[in-house]
Amino acid sequence: MAAADSLPAPGRAPDAPASGRAPASGHPPAKRALRARRRSRIGMIFLIMTAIAVVMLYPFWYILNNAFRTQTQFEQQHGHSALSWSQLFSELPVGRELLNSTLICLASILLILAVSTTAGFAFAKLRYRGSGIVFLAVVAALMVPLQSIIIPEYVNLGKLGLINTYLGAILVYVALGTPFATFLMATYYRGISDDLIEAAVMDGLGYERTFLRIALPLSWPAIATVTVLQFIQIWDDLLVGLLFLQNPQQRTITVGLAALSAGRTSSIPVLMAGSFISAVPAIVVYLIFQRYLVRGLTLGMGK
Amino acid sequence: MSVSEATPALARGTSPGQRTRPRRSRLARRRRRAGILLSLPAVIVVVALLGIPIGQAVYYSMTNWNGLTAQWIGPSTYSTALSDPIFWRVLENNGLLLLSIPFAIGIPLAIAALLNEHVRGWRFFRSVYFLPTAVSWVVIGMVAVQFFALNGLMNKFLGAVGLGSFQTDMLAGQRSALIALAITFIWSMLGTNTIIFLTGMATLDPTLLEAARVDGLHRRQIFFRVTLPLLKRFVQFSFVITVISAFSALFSLIFVMTNGGPGFGTTTLEFFVYQSAFSLGQFGTGALYGIILFVIMIVVGLVQLRLIRSEDGEGW
Repeated sequence: MAAADSLPAPGRAPDAPASGRAPASGHPPAKRALRARRRSRIGMIFLIMTAIAVVMLYPFWYILNNAFRTQTQFEQQHGHSALSWSQLFSELPVGRELLNSTLICLASILLILAVSTTAGFAFAKLRYRGSGIVFLAVVAALMVPLQSIIIPEYVNLGKLGLINTYLGAILVYVALGTPFATFLMATYYRGISDDLIEAAVMDGLGYERTFLRIALPLSWPAIATVTVLQFIQIWDDLLVGLLFLQNPQQRTITVGLAALSAGRTSSIPVLMAGSFISAVPAIVVYLIFQRYLVRGLTLGMGK
Repeated sequence: MSVSEATPALARGTSPGQRTRPRRSRLARRRRRAGILLSLPAVIVVVALLGIPIGQAVYYSMTNWNGLTAQWIGPSTYSTALSDPIFWRVLENNGLLLLSIPFAIGIPLAIAALLNEHVRGWRFFRSVYFLPTAVSWVVIGMVAVQFFALNGLMNKFLGAVGLGSFQTDMLAGQRSALIALAITFIWSMLGTNTIIFLTGMATLDPTLLEAARVDGLHRRQIFFRVTLPLLKRFVQFSFVITVISAFSALFSLIFVMTNGGPGFGTTTLEFFVYQSAFSLGQFGTGALYGIILFVIMIVVGLVQLRLIRSEDGEGW
């Protein structure tokens, strides 16, 4: 977003001369009126943006406000207590599920990075006959919706005994993340000069080591983007976890929360407390790595 | 396996052409081998976990598979499924949800235009608007349920502004539940689309906008006649993302908010896949709906490709 930051702001430029309403050379009263208009315009914009911010932040406030109530306090919308939290921890193995989420996210991301950096480098710098078509096929797999393959996937992984294991869910997440990650890495590696790669190879590094020692360290911004994008996607996912991790012992926090809402608990404050806990890690990651997330979203444009 | 055999002298550049040729071809061979080797893991992942399952799904879709026994029926399963009124009811829901797309794109365009004025604090607002992108739609759906509830904020608000007669339990009616789902969907897409447009606006040439201003165009005219046409690529991109999300990313919202109900009021095709297979045990039918969903996605992708091509033809 550095480009956006450094751009001159068109809105700040004086607008009246163009619209032809003001006299040509600045009479003081006209100038003052102009400045007043501009200030009121900026004020309006600020006001609207604040209103939108309220709309966007409302759920977060709602969660926080109601997580600290009992069900009765919630119904009366009056009073606060921390009781819902102890109830949450007794109904939902929060610690365990947070750990599950973390482990599954980390393992999936590592695998996605392993296959996408190598493949991205190969497709960008080590073209072989047919590599263009292979690359296209890998990226085209982006179009496969999860729902279209989930039934065969479920059966296949079931035959391998991988339902209700970390590995089963991890494999599905890796499959879903690989096409876009490979596309992103290939796009990034294309930006690295061929001469640099060739020089390293000529110096005797060999292609594999050139990748590990030269290309990989250079591509850390793209790696960060893939990591953040995948972290948020996997952490927030429901469907894969719902089917492939039916056992509460392996469930992720998001799945546990959804199951809680669909099942026994009728206490809204408990659900809100759970929502809060499940949302915090993703929000923290977002706040730290916002830049990379934004870049990942817009890199999809193939620019 | 690569370094020991490498020829370090090659780069020194003194060797005559005769000597470089075999070396270069050996290098080329090594390059090719490395290329295949390094791209292999990704190819295996995609083929084994996406490609083969799609093929299996096509096969399963033509059986009456119930999870245990599968009997081949043939393509006639498709005509059977297509004559099922529930299928059309579900597809209608998908169609109606598409009506939310103008809002899911138009509102973020307006928000991005506001942010692009770079009023004091705009970076803060940008972060705030983008924040929901980090949060699971499971959580968003849970708050939405409370928002639309009979004693929720929406009805309180309606009562407060004197529209008390409009107070309803939106999630209890088929159509109103779909509207509630659409509103939640629009809200959830705001951050992503706003960021896409804001990024697009940052790429615009400021002198162009300045020229339009000097030419006497009003702010609104500049936006519609200059900015918007230049943002075409970004609008297309967000359009595709939004359509894909509407077809294949609503599962969490539906699961938490309505579970597809009341009746089939909020069952979309993707949710129908899940219901058929994992609630009703009709794996074959579920696979069939999954394939139809895949075909729809391909059509969306092809349309997008077409748009980009025609644009290239115009010399963009």
